[in-house]
Amino acid sequence: MNVAITPEMVGQVVISGILSGALYAMVALGLALIFGVMRVINIAHGPFLMLGAYTTVILHQSLGLNPYLTLPASMLLLFALGVFLQRTLVFRVVDAPELSSLLLTFGVSIALVNLAQLGFTSDLRSVEYITGSWPLGPFALSKSRAIAFGVAAIVSGGAFLFLGRTRLGKAIRATSQNRDVALVCGINVPRIHLVTFGLAAALAAAGGTLLSVIVAIQPEMGQIWTFKSFLVIVLGGAGNYPGALLGGVLLGLVEQLASLFLTAQLSEAVAYVLLVLVLLVRPTGLLGGRQT
Amino acid sequence: MSARGGFLAALAAAAVLLALYPVVATGYGVRAALQLFMWVALAGSWNIISGLTGYVSFGHVAFFGAGSYAAGILVVKAGWPWPVASLAGGGAAALLALVIGYPCLRLKGPYFAIAMLGLNEVLRALVSYFEGLTGGGSGLSLPTLEASVPIYYAMALTAAAVTGLTYAVITSRFGLRLMTIREDEVAAEAMGIDTARHKLYAFLLSAVGPGIAGGLAARDQGYIEPVSVFPLAMTITMIVMVLFGGKGTVWGPVLGAVVLFVFQEVVWARFIYLHQLLFGAIIVAVVLLMPRGVLGLLQIRYRLPRTI
Amino acid sequence: MTAALEVEGLRKHFGGVTAVDGVSLALETGRIHGLIGPNGSGKTTLFNCITGLERRDAGHVRFNGERIDGLRPWQIAQKGIGRTFQVIRVFPELSALENLLVVTRGSLAAARERALELLAFVKLERLRDEYAGNLSYGQQKLVEFVRVLMRDPALVLLDEPAAGVNRTLLNDLLDAVRRLRDQGKTILLVEHDMKVIMGLCETVFVLDHGEKIAEGPPGRIQTDERVIEAYFGR
Repeated sequence: MNVAITPEMVGQVVISGILSGALYAMVALGLALIFGVMRVINIAHGPFLMLGAYTTVILHQSLGLNPYLTLPASMLLLFALGVFLQRTLVFRVVDAPELSSLLLTFGVSIALVNLAQLGFTSDLRSVEYITGSWPLGPFALSKSRAIAFGVAAIVSGGAFLFLGRTRLGKAIRATSQNRDVALVCGINVPRIHLVTFGLAAALAAAGGTLLSVIVAIQPEMGQIWTFKSFLVIVLGGAGNYPGALLGGVLLGLVEQLASLFLTAQLSEAVAYVLLVLVLLVRPTGLLGGRQT
Repeated sequence: MSARGGFLAALAAAAVLLALYPVVATGYGVRAALQLFMWVALAGSWNIISGLTGYVSFGHVAFFGAGSYAAGILVVKAGWPWPVASLAGGGAAALLALVIGYPCLRLKGPYFAIAMLGLNEVLRALVSYFEGLTGGGSGLSLPTLEASVPIYYAMALTAAAVTGLTYAVITSRFGLRLMTIREDEVAAEAMGIDTARHKLYAFLLSAVGPGIAGGLAARDQGYIEPVSVFPLAMTITMIVMVLFGGKGTVWGPVLGAVVLFVFQEVVWARFIYLHQLLFGAIIVAVVLLMPRGVLGLLQIRYRLPRTI
Repeated sequence: MTAALEVEGLRKHFGGVTAVDGVSLALETGRIHGLIGPNGSGKTTLFNCITGLERRDAGHVRFNGERIDGLRPWQIAQKGIGRTFQVIRVFPELSALENLLVVTRGSLAAARERALELLAFVKLERLRDEYAGNLSYGQQKLVEFVRVLMRDPALVLLDEPAAGVNRTLLNDLLDAVRRLRDQGKTILLVEHDMKVIMGLCETVFVLDHGEKIAEGPPGRIQTDERVIEAYFGR
């Protein structure tokens, strides 16, 4: 704390916070969807992100593809994995006690992480594609983070359009509001569950792809993302999808400010304290609970 | 009654044999047995919160790590004798459980599970940050001490205490109330059971054992550092042990600890990722195919009491 | 007569749907009250608001003159309000006996004695060590009923006690309810079976679309135009 903190530095971290917030929000949206529709917290959500990141790294390193162009591949692949897992395993615990779905997805998450360890080793991998930053007045916009912000905003926007405008999307929202009513209205709920799980995995994968250009990746990177995504949901209010966006930006800001005023090491601890405080003071989330 | 008598006799015989074991054992044997006791204590403790109330703790290793550091610091910086420091480690773990449990256990649903998932990472970061106290990333060395055999007995006592505690809880009305939380928390509340307080008590009880075990393990290893005392793998292992042996029973965690520890030592230790992968698969398989675990299955099939 | 429970202007909505819309009613100590109304008229939501399982949006609930709205469900239960559920909620992996013991405080020996008495009263003493989840529907219903009595509540709320119960069992249950009344307890029951309501209740409240549309002795309720309209349409 021996360096004076200038207004420019604060402005800079606010910018960085907003940039990473969009990424958080997009990934958390996936977790929120599964929770909203099936009442399942998917512990494997972070490992999905990790697999998305590896998809990009592998395609980039072996085929020389532009990492951003691997986004559809990584999303599709994880969509397929998500559908597969829902179809083979998760559907069996959707109506079971919470303990079962938590433990099951925890088991899946361990299996995925260790498969990745076996397949990719635990060495750090990175994509050196775009470095440096663009000047913006007195501030600097990290190129990879700015692009990640833009892509995350587009993907999240697309997801919202899908949920709001398409038949399938509306069916997903109806199911998340009231499954029994959805059943009565002739919605094929098991199919909605498949699509939701796939979509959620794809959103995590998009996060992985964008992240792989920003930081070095390794198989164990996922767990903390499950936690952070959940924190974003808590901040925004469970079942409140637009709230997740705001929660993401808020988490990004808090982490960046913490790394400015304290140290980067503690930014996760600060995020944790934030979770505990919110649960203590406003358990329904800062923006309130489920919207109707 | 005679079956019970036979069981008690067998238990007493096992206790005597284990008490005499260090006399004849090799150094490796003592170390291995000490490890096994540690796993019994850890699995049994996880069972008290998660097996009885159904609230899954995905970060129980945090209490092990907290106990390790509390005891390690007290030994190194304050010169406390290790048995007292280890008990203090249990106290520190309970304190941590209070701070985390109070906000998180008032809520239903997965808040608790996820909060515990993140706790580990946070503690690891905190320990690395407060370098002056903890030695940061380079760790903390305890003064040299040849004490494997005393630690063996201390760890055995801890394992026995956790198992005894589990027995006392499961056979009490308090334990029954914990089970109502697992069975139907809403109905439990409507029947006048203060579920939040009961969950918190169970959580505190479940934190003490790992805290003490952490302190003892720190003394046994002689050296602690953030990565080695907060491994996610440890939480995974205790969960697998309890699920396999039978959650919500007295002897399920013990059985799970013995079986999986032996397999781990004999077969899997050389294939670290493969063995973790298998643990993941076991969790999935047990949840789907045998949600009660081995003893739970026997309990239901042969109408045995939960005290098996 | 004094009021055991007073509900005043109670309101509860879920999103856009108003489930209970400003209901006021008073239960008199030592009497059996009925709560009727078409499906979805807000009966169970009213129960849930009284027992604290749902947070009311507006209104007061007083029990023996003391405000209990805003208390946690377990606090309300400890004040002396017991309830059963429309869908049976015994603890399936606890034995019948344990289901009763678990809700008690104080001396375990005394609780055990009382539990065995109550199980004998509903003729389940033979099944006391069976898991509640393995009992038949009717037996579970009885376990749930006597579980409420374990705490010796002053006010008992019964949500459809007659549903799915055979004649003999039903008569036993109704006798038990009358005996509770004779001990000075206050009872409110939701029921669809009009015979039960007419034969048992001294006062009946009628809900429709979350509003109380009638109140009075069963005979009067039966001929009330608004009630007939609510049930059969115009």
